[in-house]
Amino acid sequence: MMICNVPSCQRGWGQARSVGFAWMAWVFSTLWCTAAELPTDQVEFFEKRIRPALVKYCYECHSAATEASGGLLLDSKVGASKGGESGPAIVPGNANASRLIQAIEYKNLSLQMPPDGRLPQDVMASFRKWVETGAADPRTAPTENQAAKPKQTGLPVADATKHWAYRTVVDHAIPPLTIPNSTAIDCFVDEKIRQTGLFRAPESEKLALLRRLTFDLHGLPPTPAEVEQFTGDTSQDAYDRLVDRLLASPRFGERMARHWMDVVRYGESVTLRGFVFKDAWRYRDYLIESFGRDRPFNTVLKEQVAGDLMHEEDRHERSLQITAATFLTLGNTNFEEQDKKQLEMDFVDEQLDVIGRVYMGQTIGCARCHDHKFDPIPVRDYYAMAGILKGSRAFDHANLSKWLLKPLPVADELQQQYARLDTELAELNTRAAELKKLLGATTSKDPKQIPIEQLEGVVIDDTQAKKIGYWSESSASKPYVGVGYIHDGHADQGTKTVTFEPKSLPPGTYQVRISYAPGSNRASNASVKVFSADGEREILIDQSVAPPDDGAWFPLGSYRFEPNGQAFVIVSNANADGHVIADAVQFLSTEVAAPAKLPVTLAKSSNTTATPNPADTAKSAETPTESAEIKQRKKEVAKLDRHIKDIEAQLAMRPVAMGIEEQLPAKDIAIHVRGSVHTLGEVVPRGFLQAVSTAKPVELSASTSGRLEMADWLSSDRNPLTTRVLVNRVWYWMMGEGLVDTVDNFGTTGQSPSHPELLDWLSTRFQEGQWSVKKLVRQLVLSDVYRRSVIEPNQVAITTDPANRLYWRGNARRVDAESLRDAMLAISGELQYIPGGPTFRADVKDDYAYQHQPALRSVFQPVFRNSLPELLEAFDFPNPSMSAGRRSRSTVAPQALLLMNNAWVEARAKNAANRIVQETGVTDERHWIEAAYALCYGREPSTSERVRCEQFLNSASQLDQSSAARFLALEQLIQSLFASIDFRFLE
Amino acid sequence: MFINPNRRSMLQSAACGFGALAASALANGAAVAGPSLPQPHFAPKAKRIIFLFMQGGVSHVDSFDRKPLLADRNGQMFDFLDARAFANSGKTKSTFRVMNSPWQFRQYGQTGRWISDLFPHTAQHADDLCMVHSMHTEGVAHGPATLFLHCGSTNFVRPSFGSWVIYGLGSENNNLPGFVSIAPSIGNGGPRNYGNAFLPAKFQGTPLGQAVSELPLTINDLTSQSRTFGQQRQQLDLIQSLNQQQIARRHSSDSEFEAVVESFELAWRMQSTAPEIVDLNGESAETLRMYGIDNPVTKDYGQRCLLARRLCEAGVRFIQVNYGDNSANPAWDQHSNLPKHADHARAVDQPIGALLADLKQRGLLEDTLVWWGGEFGRTPYAQENGTGRDHNPEGFTVWLAGGGVKSGSTYGATDEFGHHAISNKVHLHDLHATLLHLMGLDHQRLTYRHAGRDYRLTDVYGRIVNDIIA
Repeated sequence: MMICNVPSCQRGWGQARSVGFAWMAWVFSTLWCTAAELPTDQVEFFEKRIRPALVKYCYECHSAATEASGGLLLDSKVGASKGGESGPAIVPGNANASRLIQAIEYKNLSLQMPPDGRLPQDVMASFRKWVETGAADPRTAPTENQAAKPKQTGLPVADATKHWAYRTVVDHAIPPLTIPNSTAIDCFVDEKIRQTGLFRAPESEKLALLRRLTFDLHGLPPTPAEVEQFTGDTSQDAYDRLVDRLLASPRFGERMARHWMDVVRYGESVTLRGFVFKDAWRYRDYLIESFGRDRPFNTVLKEQVAGDLMHEEDRHERSLQITAATFLTLGNTNFEEQDKKQLEMDFVDEQLDVIGRVYMGQTIGCARCHDHKFDPIPVRDYYAMAGILKGSRAFDHANLSKWLLKPLPVADELQQQYARLDTELAELNTRAAELKKLLGATTSKDPKQIPIEQLEGVVIDDTQAKKIGYWSESSASKPYVGVGYIHDGHADQGTKTVTFEPKSLPPGTYQVRISYAPGSNRASNASVKVFSADGEREILIDQSVAPPDDGAWFPLGSYRFEPNGQAFVIVSNANADGHVIADAVQFLSTEVAAPAKLPVTLAKSSNTTATPNPADTAKSAETPTESAEIKQRKKEVAKLDRHIKDIEAQLAMRPVAMGIEEQLPAKDIAIHVRGSVHTLGEVVPRGFLQAVSTAKPVELSASTSGRLEMADWLSSDRNPLTTRVLVNRVWYWMMGEGLVDTVDNFGTTGQSPSHPELLDWLSTRFQEGQWSVKKLVRQLVLSDVYRRSVIEPNQVAITTDPANRLYWRGNARRVDAESLRDAMLAISGELQYIPGGPTFRADVKDDYAYQHQPALRSVFQPVFRNSLPELLEAFDFPNPSMSAGRRSRSTVAPQALLLMNNAWVEARAKNAANRIVQETGVTDERHWIEAAYALCYGREPSTSERVRCEQFLNSASQLDQSSAARFLALEQLIQSLFASIDFRFLE
Repeated sequence: MFINPNRRSMLQSAACGFGALAASALANGAAVAGPSLPQPHFAPKAKRIIFLFMQGGVSHVDSFDRKPLLADRNGQMFDFLDARAFANSGKTKSTFRVMNSPWQFRQYGQTGRWISDLFPHTAQHADDLCMVHSMHTEGVAHGPATLFLHCGSTNFVRPSFGSWVIYGLGSENNNLPGFVSIAPSIGNGGPRNYGNAFLPAKFQGTPLGQAVSELPLTINDLTSQSRTFGQQRQQLDLIQSLNQQQIARRHSSDSEFEAVVESFELAWRMQSTAPEIVDLNGESAETLRMYGIDNPVTKDYGQRCLLARRLCEAGVRFIQVNYGDNSANPAWDQHSNLPKHADHARAVDQPIGALLADLKQRGLLEDTLVWWGGEFGRTPYAQENGTGRDHNPEGFTVWLAGGGVKSGSTYGATDEFGHHAISNKVHLHDLHATLLHLMGLDHQRLTYRHAGRDYRLTDVYGRIVNDIIA
């Protein structure tokens, strides 16, 4: 996770779970005698067998001379008796209860020592004997060093305010105005420029300014008409009106939302297994709406941590609140983690890390295993906050755990309708189950032998299955598939299995069913496991009762199978209380399932191998002797099943948001020693960072997890970090660099602000202005600082401020990935705006090799962690699994290859060429060039550019004067404009 | 951070165009070396690595880690400390049926090393292999374990091994990416397994093709599908002259603009040279036969191995040759029907044997390190007492060959069943540290500052296994 300087952490042994040995405390009980009283034979045994072994195998890590891994010293009795970090390691007289013995005997995966291999058998035996006989230790030399205790090596909490970021925000006076009509921001900035003898760059030319502002506020280039309008507008307030127009557009909300999505590691799928978050888009739309409507950002910040616990009356606002908390769930979670304790804690760790960075620019995650090395964040504070987050449930656990979905409020009428459907569904399910049971009981009286050829889908009979252990053949009870079935003879439980595995199974979703020829001597708990793409699932079957489907088949459920993936069913006699039968397994594809409303007759007469529902599929098993009553019941079951599916489909339309659920009573949690979920230390009361207290410490009772209180603390005016961090982020979005360069790190390892007074002044105004991001943006872009041109530094600038930290000139801005893509689409006339909503189909199951829509505005493209759009990925789109306040900036060859050769880029150039040809008339190449420059750069080509472009068009079509060849040349020209510097960097 | 040349003068003097540079590189048949490669921490034993990734987890007790006890105790029930059961429930004892290997083991070479009938071709190189039988790792499921194998972390987003290598050493060949992954899977971590995470983008691994698609084994967007080579040349010249004019008309210079110009220059060199390197058509019929490219069973992996050799010759630092697929239970994952291992072995064995022989005959094996292995091993007992073996992160085998390892040596051991590594255990962090060491990099010094902290491949772990270093 991180490089630590804590010595005991430096030792490079294996995995986190080996850390389990750190639990070992050498607790010497009163049984332990002093050397003087020790029997000679025991002393001799220690000296001969134990001491040399300790020296040879243990001192390397557990001695005062080297380190005290896990706080445990084994090189002296005194040191040893001080113990390790927790838990008794030796119970003199009881080897089995001694953790030391457990560790060296390798009986537990999280407690194995020495880490690089088991001790020789005789050494292990000696240790066991030594402990059994009282663990006599004659060593008397004193410990030279105390066992390493966790030390606060960083800034102590009490001294937190020695670091600027933890101090209260102070409202500073605006420095005197020296240039007429300057804004307050300029006064702060210009003061420093004056002090250093730098000069100020003049305001940018109008076109450069318009492009800069339009890209910054909308992520798009201005249209040629907008260029003409603004450059021709000589009125005093032309720029102010431009700013207001851009701020009022929905494009502004989209642009700001995308910035925030970087910060909150927004993603719509997870890496492992590529599960897609079908409802994450609501959070994206929530952000767009919040920025667009300029909702107070302290509210937005609060909602993201605890919106589900807030109670706005208005239905829409309530929806927004619940949706906001999706923020907590968007991490790249490993839902298949087998250790669910670990999974829950990993989830909390991720949330804490992200909250710390996003809200306060703090690397809280560093304090997960030990006190923060640099910042005033003790490990206690980490678990105080972790306890708060741990107080909410986030998963439905299974082999592959599932995230939670929370219903959003809907109109009362609709709400009632959903409630009715819920009740109806429950009733229908009960009735269907009853009827199926009845049907099973009656049809089982109808003995039959089911020929395999008559069965649909893929059927594996017991004769084709792989048997382990002795299985007897039989055909005594019916119904069975094929020539008979096999049974385990009710013997040797746990040693016999039968594996039913299709030779090949086309990938897809299947209903899996098993038959077992029921009978009274059968096991009531026969174990059947289905192995599919979603892992394994065990179902215990009562084989003494007739199976529900037709009396012949027991449905095991619906499963997904992948190409070359696991697809098999194991019947086992483990723990069986009766005879276990294995007869046949059937895989029925549900891929081409008939629509629910298909009439029964049609479904029955269709010849497809796919089957609408299991009740119908057993038709092949029908025999002429089937009574009218049974037929009637079957029809009824089929009807019920369709009805159930129908209701489920309606209920699936109910709006839901991803979220977590508070669990009461709330509990404090224990410190996880070195971050291990299996090594618990002291329980710490829930709370917040002590270094950032906004009021008196809160006492959190059992009636609240503390999440709401934490949200209040985080979004409080009195929290000095939150406002500063946020204001700095907005400054960075507009100015291209932050006042604090390390936008995500306001800790002691981060950079100091270039203009601390300005940062505080802006923070104060921001709070006064009801946390209005729009007002803040307006304030920034109206400053001279924002409008400065990008010019060459003079000698003073080169020596005193080459990095332009003092904003004496403008920064050359790189056009980011989304703007680059959206600009090409805007120029080709294809860019597709939508009001929001889901942007991938409901039947998308995983994100592997997802084909993105070509023309959708980038912010709406699903952020799939396994399938980012190629262009975005190539141009430094941030890794959506990590909070990224600042994007990296790379210039690499794959970008050039993409701009030259990528089919999507070529298509945009082609469509732009089409647009130009249609607008300007086919023949005039001079106009083509002008139109291309106007669209791409908002300007006319220079003379030399014009000459070069004409030369290109001419030479490209020199050999071939056909209109197709000339058109291709134009296409290439536009693509070249896309690829070159003026398209990728703003002035 | 390492390469920061001022190449402006050089570019200006190359007035005849960038194509010319590429053409001269082609004519010499030599790589254009990077202007200033980062230096290794100490003298390397290997210059490059080929990683033969056996996705899904090869059963070590059926391949390279012979356990006669499995035959003696075949079918008997024993208590085992099962990693999956332990993760799920903390259970330290579960009863399982010991399952003998269906394959016979034979002794090979001077060393008399035992290798099963799954790998007869690899076995011909028995004396060249350095076997590590005591591997153990993190992650019971494929996804986390695969990420751990590549990035040293089961769940945090971290740079992959190859990215660290080229971050530390740069690329020997400026016309090709320094880190490629041939036919990678899109599942079980997908692109993250060759991702640069927070390292600069130029350290990203480049995928060539995909695990199961018909995509050609080449670099994305390497050439245009709709334009002729001549048209592309003209277009490149236009782009570069527009770039020069645009730089000139700006009021200030910026090193980033030069970087753009340079990126097109490099892209064009790649476009001009890489297609030839990834094209196997020039290889002799005998070579194709040796790699099994004439046989449908071995064709795919044979092509990948041959491509690896060509990339190796061209100076690519880290080449991963994947054998896997996109499913949640990839290739070697025989939870049931263990005999299916034979299909996979047949597909890879001959190509691997050919690659070793080919590297050797060309003198490349001396400074090329070949690393063979999966994300974990398999249990010596039957899963659910069925017909297959479950995942086993507690003990498995990898072998190394060439570049600086002791050929014919064996290191570490699993217990008598082949279940857990028990002596001279080598954690995957340790293997990572050792592989970096062989490349001349100190895993504790190869760090990158990100979000206020220094990160490294091996986290706070990793020890160098000196005993396997020649």
